[in-house]
Formats: sequence, C-alpha cells, structure tokens
Amino acid sequence: MPETKYKQEMAFFVDMQRCIGCHACEMACAECETNGQESMIHVNYVNRAVSVQTTVQVCMHCEDPTCANVCPADAIHQDDFGVVHSANTSRCIGCSNCVLACPFGVPKKEEKAELMMKCNMCYDRTSAGKKPMCATVCPSQALFYGTRQEIERMRPDSVPVNTFQFGNQEVNTKVNIMMPKGTHKLIVE
Amino acid sequence: MFRLFQTLNRTALVKATIAVVVVVILVLVGSRDLQNFDPALISYLLGTIFAVFGIAYRYSVWLQRPPTRLYWRRSMQFLFSKDFIPYAWRSLRLFVRNILFQRFIAYRSRTRWVGHFLLAIGCLLAFAITIPLTFGWIHFELKPGDDVTYYAKVFGFEAGTFALGSVMAFVAFHGLVWCSFLVIIGSAMMMKRRLTDGGLIATQSLSEDWLPLILLIAISVTGLGISYDYTFLQGKTYQFMAVTHAIVVILWLVWLPFGKFFHVFQRLAQLGANLYKHEGQRRGMAVCEHTHQEFATQMHVDDLKLLTKQLGFDYEKKDGRNHLDLSPEGKRSALAKAHFQARKASGKFFG
Amino acid sequence: MAKLPVTVDKIIEKFGPHKAYPPQVGFHGAHEPDKLVKTHCCYCGMQCGIQLKVKDNKIAGFEPWMEFPFNEGRLCPKGIQRYMQNNHPDRLMDPLQRVEGKGFEPVSWEHAMSTTVSEIKRIQNTYGNDAFAMLSGVSLTNEKSYMIGKFARVALKTANLDYNGRLCMVSAGGGNKKAFGLDRTSNSWADLKHAEVILVAGANISETFPTLTHYIWQARDNGAKLIVVDPRVIPLARTADLHLAVRPGGDSALFGAMLKILVDNDWLDHDFIKNHTSGFQETIEAVKDYDLEWAEETTGIPKEQIMEAATLWGKAKTSFLLHARGIEHHSKGVDNVLSCINLVLATGRIGKPYCGYGTITGQGNGQGGREHGHKCDQLPGNRDITNPEHRKYIAGVWGIDEKDMPGKGLTAYEQIEAIHRGDIKGMISICFNPLVSLPNNNFVREALEKLEFYICIDTFLSETARHADIIMAGSLHEEEEGTVTTAEGRVVKINEAITPPGNTRRDGQILMELAARLGTGDKFSYNTSEDIFNELRVASKGGTADYYGITYKKVVDNMGVFWPCPSEDHPGTPRLWEDRKFKTPDGKAHFNPVTYKPAAERTDKEFPVVLTTGRVVSQYLSGTSTRRIGKLVDQYPEPLLEIHPKLAYQYDIKDRDLIKVKTRRGEASFPAQLVETIREDTVFIPYHWGGKQSANQLTIGTLDPVSKIPEFKVCACQLIPTGEKATVELTETAYQSYLPAENSNDK
Repeated sequence: MPETKYKQEMAFFVDMQRCIGCHACEMACAECETNGQESMIHVNYVNRAVSVQTTVQVCMHCEDPTCANVCPADAIHQDDFGVVHSANTSRCIGCSNCVLACPFGVPKKEEKAELMMKCNMCYDRTSAGKKPMCATVCPSQALFYGTRQEIERMRPDSVPVNTFQFGNQEVNTKVNIMMPKGTHKLIVE
Repeated sequence: MFRLFQTLNRTALVKATIAVVVVVILVLVGSRDLQNFDPALISYLLGTIFAVFGIAYRYSVWLQRPPTRLYWRRSMQFLFSKDFIPYAWRSLRLFVRNILFQRFIAYRSRTRWVGHFLLAIGCLLAFAITIPLTFGWIHFELKPGDDVTYYAKVFGFEAGTFALGSVMAFVAFHGLVWCSFLVIIGSAMMMKRRLTDGGLIATQSLSEDWLPLILLIAISVTGLGISYDYTFLQGKTYQFMAVTHAIVVILWLVWLPFGKFFHVFQRLAQLGANLYKHEGQRRGMAVCEHTHQEFATQMHVDDLKLLTKQLGFDYEKKDGRNHLDLSPEGKRSALAKAHFQARKASGKFFG
Repeated sequence: MAKLPVTVDKIIEKFGPHKAYPPQVGFHGAHEPDKLVKTHCCYCGMQCGIQLKVKDNKIAGFEPWMEFPFNEGRLCPKGIQRYMQNNHPDRLMDPLQRVEGKGFEPVSWEHAMSTTVSEIKRIQNTYGNDAFAMLSGVSLTNEKSYMIGKFARVALKTANLDYNGRLCMVSAGGGNKKAFGLDRTSNSWADLKHAEVILVAGANISETFPTLTHYIWQARDNGAKLIVVDPRVIPLARTADLHLAVRPGGDSALFGAMLKILVDNDWLDHDFIKNHTSGFQETIEAVKDYDLEWAEETTGIPKEQIMEAATLWGKAKTSFLLHARGIEHHSKGVDNVLSCINLVLATGRIGKPYCGYGTITGQGNGQGGREHGHKCDQLPGNRDITNPEHRKYIAGVWGIDEKDMPGKGLTAYEQIEAIHRGDIKGMISICFNPLVSLPNNNFVREALEKLEFYICIDTFLSETARHADIIMAGSLHEEEEGTVTTAEGRVVKINEAITPPGNTRRDGQILMELAARLGTGDKFSYNTSEDIFNELRVASKGGTADYYGITYKKVVDNMGVFWPCPSEDHPGTPRLWEDRKFKTPDGKAHFNPVTYKPAAERTDKEFPVVLTTGRVVSQYLSGTSTRRIGKLVDQYPEPLLEIHPKLAYQYDIKDRDLIKVKTRRGEASFPAQLVETIREDTVFIPYHWGGKQSANQLTIGTLDPVSKIPEFKVCACQLIPTGEKATVELTETAYQSYLPAENSNDK
C-alpha cells in the first residue's frame, strides 16, 4: 500500500573476510522497524579456538527460495523486487521448516511467539530509498549496499558472485558475495 | 470457462462438495426440515454455504502441498497412535491456549495480543450465536399461554426458558451487540498499530491488512445499527439497516476462503507442528557436526531432506552427507570457511 | 572517611550497574521524533557523526548521519547503543550525600554545594591549597576541559589537577612534542587511503576504533600492504599481509632493529634527514647493535618477519604509521613512540599526501582535552605551565596575577601516591573512574579510603563514586553543547539534544557555581558554551594548539575544522608539516636515540607468564556507561583470560576453567578461554570491569619517567588453576563490580 521508493539499481554485497566481528550490524538490525528489537542478522565466530574469523550472514534473498517452498503455511512471500519477506505473522505456524531448510542458515524461530522472522533487507528503509541498517553502519563495509558500478570501482580485486553450490544444489541469490576475480560460483562442501 | 474446469482440483472439489452436502443435511436436520428455519436469514445461509465450500476447497488444496501434507500426515499419525490420550489432551490444551486465547501473540507484543484477542473472541462468539441461528438449529418460542416466558429450542428440543425482560434475556438478545463492541475495540487497536508502527507501515497491504479490519468494523457497525434501530428508532430504518448489514456480512463470507481470514483455519496446523516437534524430541535430536550441539529433531531433518527433494532441491553432497545435516550456525560457518578457502586459493585473504 | 557507607551489595542494588534494554517496540516517538539532532558519539576518539532522535525531551533512538565525512553513517556497536545511556534507570537524578550505615541519600543542591565548599576551605586552610586535588577526564568537551583547567588554578588554586588522559595518550604526546614540538596526529585519516604500507602498532583498531577499519580496508583495496604489530591476532591482523606477534614490551627493540635495516640498506630519505631533521647520527648510533638475531631474541618475532616488515616499509613510497595504547602503556611508552617516529623521519614520509603518522587517541576528546590546560603541567593552547611567558599570557586571559597561578602539579597516579603519603587530603573528580582504570587498584582503593573529603561529579554512581562523600548529578554528553577534537585533529560540534532531566545540572553550571562560591564567580561568568569556546580561542592563540580561527559557525558549516587554525580566514590544517616548519625550537623534526629497555617487571620463576591487558569491542574504558547498556554487556559479559592452548596444557587448563591469576599486587580469578590467537608466553585480560573481576588489581603502577603513564601492558603473573569451572553466576554479575569477599566492607 505505501508508495515505494525501492531503488532497483542498488544491490547488496557481502565480504565476510572483511568482517571484524564487532556486531554493529546486529545492534543496528534491532533498530530496524520491521523487526522490533529482534536482530535478524547473524554474526558468529567460525571457530574461536583457532581464529578470530567471524562470519556475517544476511538473508541472501534466493531467486527460488527454499524457505518459501518448504513453508506449509504459505507464509513467506517474495515481492516484485526479489525481496523475500519475513513470515506473514498471521500465517506462520512456527514449524521451523524454513529455519532448517535454508541453505544459508538465515531464518530464526522466535520460540514463544511461534513465529519465524528473517531479514527482509530492512524493507522499511529500502522501500523508502535508504540503505539497510546493517550495511549503513558496518564499519568494515563487509556489508555494502550500493550499485554494481560502485563496488567494481571500489574493490578492483574482487567480483560479485551470486551463485552458490551446496552439494548438488545450485542456488542463485539477489545478494552478492565478493569473490576473487575470475570466480563465478562459491562451492560449499 | 473450460480452462477453469481444467485447473480445478478434483479432490478438493469432491471434498468441498461433501462439506456442502453435510452442512445442508445438518441444516435440514437441525431445523426440523426447515420448520424452524427463519426465512429472513436465507441470504446469510447461502453466503455461509458458499464460504463452507470455499474454505473446504482451499483447505483441501492447501493440504495437498508437500510440506503441508507432511505435517498433516505426521500429526494424524502421532495423534492416532498408542499415545492418543496424552496427545489429544496436549492438543486440546494448546487449542485453548493458542487458538481460543492466541497467547503466542502476547510474546510478539502485549497490546497486539489484547487487540487481536478482543477482535477474535468477538468474532468467535458472534459465530457461535449466528451460525446456529442461520442454520435454524436454535430458535426461540413464546411459551403458549404465557407472553413473558421464552423457550430456547436447540435442534427442535427445548433447552431452557427465560422470562422476557430478565437479565438473561437482555444478555441473550444483545449477544451480538457485545460482540460488536469487542470487535470494534480490537480492530481499532490493530488499526492504531498499523498507523504508528514504522515496520508495519512499510510492509502492510490494503487487501491483506486494512480491508479485513475495515470489513470487521463495517459488519459490527451495521449490526449495531439494527439494534440501534429497534431500540431507539422503533424500527423506522430497519429495512436499510438490515440490507446494509446483510451486504457486508455476505461480502465477508464470500471473501473468507480467499483473503486474510483463511489464517484462522490455517492456524490449526500449529497444533500439528507442536505434536510433530514433541514426538520428534522423543525420538531423538540431530547434532550438528560443526557446533556439536543439538539443533533440531532428527525426524525433522530427515523429513526435510525428502521434502526438499520432492520440491526439486537436492542438498545432498557427493560423499552422501547432506547440507541440511548442519545447524543454521553450522551452515553459516561452512559458507564462511568456503569463502575463506576461495580467498586463500587466490593467494590473498583480502580483496 | 571515604569507605563504603554500606555493603557494596546494597549500593549495587540501588545504583547499579543495571542493564538497560530498549522496549520491545522501541522508545516512544522513535518512529516520529520531534527532531533529529546532529552530534557525535560520546565514546572513542573517532567521534563518529550520529543523529539522535528526540521525543518529549528524551532520546528515543538514533539515525545514521550519512553526510558526516569521517564515518558517513558507519558506527560500531557502542555508537549504536550510545543512546541507551539516556533514560537509564541508574541515572543519578539528585545530588547525593554519603550517610554512614545508610548509603547515599538525596540532598539539595544548596546542601551539596555548601558542604563541598566548606570542606574545600577547611582542607585548604588546614593543609594548604595543594592538599585539595582535582582529577578530570577527556570524555568532556573542549569547553569543559578548558574550564576545568581554569577552575583548578583560579578557583581551587591547586597545582594538583590531572586527568585520565594520563592513562591514555600522554606517551604519544610526550614523544610528539619531543620530535615535532606539537602534539597531534600529523594527518587526517583521508591520507590512509592511498598509503602503500600501513603499519599498525599496538592498536586494536578493529575493536577499539572499529570505524577506522574502513579506511584501512580502502587502502588495501588500493593495494596497500598492512603490517600489524600485536601480541594477539586481533581481527585486523587476521588477514594482514604481515602480523608481527611481538612479546609485550618488545616494541622499541623491533622498531630499533627495523631502523637499523633501513640504514643498512640505505632505504633513507637523505634530503629530508639533512634539511629538516636533527639527531640522526646519535639515533642510528643507538641501534647499531640491534641485529636480527638480537631482535628475534628480544621481541619474540621471527627475524624473517622483521626483515620483511623493514623491507616493506623501506621500499614504500608512501606510508602511514599508526599506534595506540599497545606501545604507549609502558614504563618506556615515550621511547616506544619515539622509535616509531624515527622510522617515519628516516624515510621522510611525513607532510606529504598519503604519508602519515599518528597516535589514535582513545577517548572521545582525548585530543582536545589534552590541549587546553587539563594536565598538571599545561596551560591552554598546549602551553607549558612552567614557562614564564606562557604563564603571563594565560594569566592575562584569565584576569589573574601570574604569581597567583599555581605551578606544575602531580600526575594522576602520583596523586594517588600523594594521598597515601598524606600530602593530598581532599579531592574533586569528574568523568574519571580510577578505581577501575588505574593500575594496582587495591592501592587506589586504599587511597580513596584515606581521603578526608571526596566529591564526585558524575551521571552514574561509578565504582569510584561509591567512595564519595558528595556526588553531584551532572550531565550526559547529549545534555550540554560544546566541541571536541577528534583523533585526527578535527574540531567538531557536540549539540545539546535535550536539557538535563529532573534535578540534574549541566557540568558547566556545577563548576561555575562552585567557582562562584569559592569567591571567583567573576572569572566564570559564561552564559553559553560558545562564550567559553571564544575565551578558549583567545587562550590558545599563539600556542601550538591554536584554535583562534575556529568558530562554532565554521565548525558546523564545514562539519569540522582541523587545528591549527590561527585566523578566521584560515581553512584549518588536515595535514601537518607540508611546510616542513616543525614546532621545535630549531624548527626541525628531531630524531631521538632510543635504547631498548626491558619492562619494569620481568617474568621469573615465581611469576613466569607475561600478563597484558586491553579492551573488547563492546565496552568503553571503565564501563561506567557501557556496563549499564544491556546489549553491550551481553555481547561480552565478563573478562576472560585468553591463553594459548600450549601454555594451558602446561597447567592442565581447559576452556572455562576458573583460573586464579596472581601478581605481586593482587590476585583475581577469570574463566580461561583457550585460543591460538595469542602468543604462547602471554595471557590477556580485558580491563573494563571493576571489583573482584578487575584486571587492574593485577597490573603494575610503574610509570614512564616522561609521560607518567602506567605500564598496563606488561607485568609478570602466575596462573593457579582453582580446579573449578567458571560459574554462570560469575558471568552474569561481572558487570556490577562486586568486591572480593575480604574487601567488601561488610557491616
């Protein structure tokens, strides 16, 4: 219903090797009005005993979202911009199918509220032409929101990739990950 | 037209037809072959029958979707097992708590629960009153030879008496008025949220979020109009009030299977999901190979592997393991490690 | 009589720290605030721009400020949560008085003021003016810092004023003054972007200055090589081109050896050295024996890595060297800084685009607060209190007789020692929590207990304030207008978003009233913060830190002005030394010979392990504010003992085992965290916590002879496994600073 100012030329780029694990994105995400003090972004140590490597995960907004496919309640909706929205609160039955089937480990189940919640790319902000909270505040710009031209200019050694291989499954996403030049796919074994 | 018939779902059509036939039989039986049927309510009856058809049809289509079918089959399997009594009791408790009282909403926000509960309980009570009346299951008769005592008849059997002008009579005849107030207050609370909450403002839609609330208020207000008319205007505007009310209610009934209100019926699946989780926990938990922590029931993980396959996703790996065996944190770490390796292979960790 | 009036448990129950969280649906008015106020974060020296949402004179949230040039909306978790210090249930809403056996009770401002003034007079009349000391802090604005310098000298008439910058960047200041005659980072951060080599020494940028990370990453995108010197693999070091895991205390040996390599390979800028510097020969003489074998032995860094670092640095055309507390918190902090500067001068890479050097100031106004008379030896404009001309000029600005101006006083830690000796009997403090932040804090606690009268101006009852006789309820950052100077030397504007709530007062107002009651009201008759700033401009005029040309309007219009800015038509100076006119007496940059000295306390049989301390990303300094913000506490709830698995194996220590760490000053127990990201001979504990989990019970109070900074970064300890696992209770109560059983003053 609200008039949308969603900028289709803007895209989301993630490079978790730049992440410094500060959790600024997580704090900022909770300020996003669509998820009311619940943070939808995930930051975790990969293995703190051996490294300070952290990973940061937003919803990748798959072109054919596994989460929406496995939802028994038709609660997950993908809009015309390709944004995969958080569960429709009146439909979601809190079954956790999406939580367990998402190949990126994104959706969260709010146990008591019997509700799945996930990143919707700060729809309150992006639909108003602003940048998502996490990418706005990210001090390392491991999360970047802007145009493809901008990122190509800023990061000459990297290339945005939006194809992933999990086992036999290839997944294409709206959100990009920054990979070494010449890479077309991130293979997760 | 031909295309429409082609795309019609045969199973759903059969089930919906059966549902309609059952309702018609119940109307005939309940009203003693229409003896007790109030002809003024015929339009409501037709609307309701359409709604029953639509709901049954959509419900049946919905249950045929693989994820829904999985939950449906599994919950029926667990419910009608040797544990029938504890599971039935569990479901009943959850039904009261989460369907009748919608307590889970309170964990999303307190005022939201209050608003939703008011409008939901208003609607449910109103149904409890109007459906038996519309179907002719309940009607009231004056006791012969006594012009102050009423009989309430259910399925044609006498089920109690009360005196005209008594408190009981006031409460009974004004039941829908009380319901209307509950619905209006609840809807207004929900509307206020939709006007002030930035997150809702960004994501709401007219048809899914505002129209339902507007319709509920319209039904309540026009219903109150009828009461107002015979209490204060001696029925002068009855015709107008009755027609507008009937129009909104029938509109609503016809829309029931398609729009937002279908969630009332879908919500029942929450009971199934709960049984599924409970039984799964009894059978054993899955442990993530990355975090070494339990993260879901093994049955759920196994079912999802099959389900995703059915839906055309194949997360199986070459060595026979499956990406879905990882917990959400495990998957995120796996992605991060793969990314790190890709960077490493390129000769630079940073780029 | 400044012991706790009741048990610490009772104080905590009433005054916290308690964790505050935003309401589930956000604060009232967050969606439609009355106004957005452009200001800055109240925490570190980056001073990121931020907009605060205000509704009904309360802070309701924040909105990124995309236009502010340094951070363009980027923030760290502390900055995002900074707004939570407002509306806090622990906020002191009235002046308080210590009541023996009862705790702290609200009193009127009149009572608080008159008691304070009569106690100041009593102590000064009995023991002399200098027996009443003042400690301050540099989270305060330039205006407050300036006013405090004046307040102590003019109203209190005491020489003993010092500040918590003494624990922060004084070593850098000392080194910079010796080398350049001026104390400021020599470049704006913009010069990082195209530097070929960036050397970061002892600066955990990714956790303590997270928003600076973007500049480093940008430089790497442009091809820069990153060298990180740190005993731990900090997040910045994980992907660095070179990580030199220096043994704590080995910094000057590393830089000395690198200088020798530069000389041996003739990677020198001879023109620059000849024309613009002095002291080169003596300096290279001092390092002539620092060969790679010696360096490897002394620093614990493999010699190939030292060679590689020197090669990268030596061959680069542009470079930027950054350091922070890691090399400054040493009994040879100034030497460490000078050994860095020597590398910069030898290659002549300063005063040119993308050639930079600087310390990264820790506190919000660590830069501005150390320039305008806040220090025991300093007058505004970074003038010297012992210099007769400087004294005369400032006495003129202040309208006092130069003879009435006190001389050089004691530094912060020396004040604590003076209390022990009985030389200082009374104290007023503002914005300083020495009981958490000073080393050997059992010694600090004993000092506080010896004070006859202690008055504290603060917004929360900090661990130190628990020992106060009178506490005055002051103002938060967002409640008083002013300016601060960021770590890159940019003067920016702090705007008043809301007025102080309830019975609280602006800090400036409190100081002005105290000054008036001490009989010097005519010297403190400011109506606005801008009045104070305009006086500061005049006071700084002609000093090295010259603010004369900076006005509020100019700061707002330009989103910051870099000092020095000597006249109103001057645009400010983002990059120093382009003119090669250094501020030393001979106008040249000075090389300073640095001979390696070991740490004050070396490991031995009894205390065989090196202990170093530092910070975590979710907490700020002594935590008076950040240990009250729920989400920040939860992110890293308790201090952990980081220990390498190989060292842990020797003691049979497993993850989450509770380990008693003992030094010659004290002992405390911490849960072990086994990580391969630390040197095998070193353990690390973050210091933000007070009470029984305070790392500063263990640290050593040895001071640098020049800067008087304590040696927080290295001491010797022993590890004693308690045989217990760390409990959940310990984790969940760490932020509150309960005391060890033997110190809890149970009544």
